[in-house]
Amino acid sequence: MRRAILTTASTADTSRTVAPGARGLSPRALAWILGGAGMLGTIVLWSLLSHALAGGGGVISRLPGPLLVARNLAKYVTHDFARDLASSLEVFAAGWLGGVVFATFIGLLLGRVQWLGNIFLPVVEAIRPVSSIAWVPLSIVWFGFGFTSKAFLVGLAVFLVVIVYAIDGCSRIPADLARTATMLGMNGWQRFRSLVLPGTLVEVLTGARVSLMSGWGTVIVAELIAANSGLGAHLIAVQQSYDVAAVVATMICFGLSGFAMNAIFTRVENRLLPWRQVERSVISDE
Amino acid sequence: MAGGDLVFDRISHSYATASGRTDVLDDVSFRVEPGSVACVVGPSGCGKSTLLSLAAGLLRPARGAVRWDGAEVRMGPNAHLGMAFQQPGLFPWMNVRRNVAIGLTTRGKKKGEALRIADEFLDTVGLADFKNAYPNELSGGMAQRVGIARALALRPRLLLLDEPFAAVDAFTRIKLQQEFNALLKLNRPTVLFVTHDVSEAILLGNIIIVMSHRPARVVELIPIAHEDRNRASAAYARKLAATLALLGVTADATS
Amino acid sequence: MLRNRVLLPLVGVLVVAAIWQVTLVAYRLPVIVLPPPLAVVETLGELLVTASFWRDVGVSLYEFTAGYLLGGLSGIVVGMLIGESRNFRLTAAPVIESFRFVVPFAWIPLTILWFGTSYTGKILLVAYAVFFVMVVSTARSIVQVEPTLSRVGTMLGMGRLALALNVHLHAAAPAIASAARAAAAIGWIAVVAAEYIGASAGLGVMITNAASSLATATVIAGMVVIGIVGALVSVSIKWLSRAYFDYR
Repeated sequence: MRRAILTTASTADTSRTVAPGARGLSPRALAWILGGAGMLGTIVLWSLLSHALAGGGGVISRLPGPLLVARNLAKYVTHDFARDLASSLEVFAAGWLGGVVFATFIGLLLGRVQWLGNIFLPVVEAIRPVSSIAWVPLSIVWFGFGFTSKAFLVGLAVFLVVIVYAIDGCSRIPADLARTATMLGMNGWQRFRSLVLPGTLVEVLTGARVSLMSGWGTVIVAELIAANSGLGAHLIAVQQSYDVAAVVATMICFGLSGFAMNAIFTRVENRLLPWRQVERSVISDE
Repeated sequence: MAGGDLVFDRISHSYATASGRTDVLDDVSFRVEPGSVACVVGPSGCGKSTLLSLAAGLLRPARGAVRWDGAEVRMGPNAHLGMAFQQPGLFPWMNVRRNVAIGLTTRGKKKGEALRIADEFLDTVGLADFKNAYPNELSGGMAQRVGIARALALRPRLLLLDEPFAAVDAFTRIKLQQEFNALLKLNRPTVLFVTHDVSEAILLGNIIIVMSHRPARVVELIPIAHEDRNRASAAYARKLAATLALLGVTADATS
Repeated sequence: MLRNRVLLPLVGVLVVAAIWQVTLVAYRLPVIVLPPPLAVVETLGELLVTASFWRDVGVSLYEFTAGYLLGGLSGIVVGMLIGESRNFRLTAAPVIESFRFVVPFAWIPLTILWFGTSYTGKILLVAYAVFFVMVVSTARSIVQVEPTLSRVGTMLGMGRLALALNVHLHAAAPAIASAARAAAAIGWIAVVAAEYIGASAGLGVMITNAASSLATATVIAGMVVIGIVGALVSVSIKWLSRAYFDYR
């Protein structure tokens, strides 16, 4: 569906409607060639910039070139990366699962029980703008610098995202489905099981994917501030030894793990909900 | 300036789709005389709209050429044409007057002059009272009229119409059909008019271009004489039956 | 109406405050772990008349605004380029996709190495956070502009540039505006996070200092302020976009 929209999207961009023989390359080959050129161009630009800045004494004089970063990356990946990643992932998984389950439960409660919703939805709305990041100092006061503190923060971050999807999913049952349920003579519990719950879980699944990034971001902040293990702790350690190349290499590790998480979850979601495919890429149409 | 000469010369076209390529037009050739109205009819999805996009220079044909007054049609904006679409495509952020005037200002008219012309054409299509309304306040028929007024206000030498009355209620459609010829009298453009309604084609066209299923070819060119347009006449019934037969509909099924 | 909009939420707040107070008393929690709700309100009142508090708010808001404008405007420009040209989109997509997954917080240590505790580092961090949100959503909404509008624009004689500015940008504006609100929330939080780790002034500094001196009431009051400022920013962007796009 989306693809169909895109192929006719802007007719000013006439190149988008492909005529046979008008261009020798298939759209996929073109995407690969141009995309590769874009990546290559970025890396060349980066190298040139790091050369140009190497001599100067300005603030950005410490920009390591791609090769140096790659060497650091290789070193980190072959040594401590697995241990740090496992430690971060443990925190993340605990917080994320807890957050999703709790948000689903509370969402169903507030979304289906009207008086509870009337009273507590405004409270949830009031808490939401206070991002989980703002809770970091308080969480440290409460739980110290350990696992609990970090898992709490991740859970909170995930909760704040997923609760919206959960409430939305359970309070907005399509009218035609509700009519059908009445016509079929479903009682309250049957209605809940076959109508409300599936609708809610589908939305929760989307929320769970969206919350991956905010949860992962929270892990980073929590570990930067208060941790002795994990990717964030490593990042702060190399930063404090002024090793810019290692800092950049660690950032790349963060990016790659976020990317991998998102890719895996998207695949799982598409498998679970075959009628609602998530796009692989947010901006490219091929 | 009256209309010019529109020629489709052996046009073939296909689209890239998710599942490969779909051929839409196959070796389509016809000519529309200057100042005449050609109505294109055919089964749905046969590429009628593609035909218009090709004539407008919104699409480049894969093979063949579209010629306007002897020269191949350029891609991109073309000063000689006006077009009204199936969805009127009004800019929701502009009121009705500005929607009509925008084409004139884009083509270099002064704003005041453009708004004056817009008013004039909105009067012609019977929307004098809705000049300051926004598109979301209009009914489907009214929005369609704005779209037509916008195309006419450009004083085009080539007018392309893509089922402009399709989304309109039956009553408004008949009214618009009746006013259609009067609207064209202003400057007698050459018209390419896509419709799925065969009776509309007979009422409004000088010639009917009958297309086949996808990939579409021209099945027949049917000239329409003045007397064919009288719905009560035997000539009208004969033309209708003949056209429908070409589209694979027997006269019995329609009676 | 009044009952649902004012009374019930008030009940909700009171219930939460009551649970808070009861927990405190039941578990005999010391003030440094959980101060009573009234103490937080009191602290908030004290903060509001302190000059240094307003200075912190000012610093954070300044860093946010500068970064938001920088990242937002450049994001819209790049997003438009990506939306308008397929070739540019294909070229830029992998680069943008790879940066998108390096969340802004991961840049905090690097910005400190490069720019120290100055405002510049935070401004660039906010700009980075906002930029990618705006690029992606602008490009997306430009690509999804109703195709008829593009055809109409071309028919009316607009070239590519005119079409982009007069039609696509207008048509995409409501979507861009709602992305701008989401981006503001992300940017505002990026400022606070950056201030936790390396800064000399700002709300983030205020609450980390309070946390390390175990002034928990001040920490919670600071969180409330962060939430309120974030909500105000979001509401004012919503209000601005309403004022401009009321034709919908």
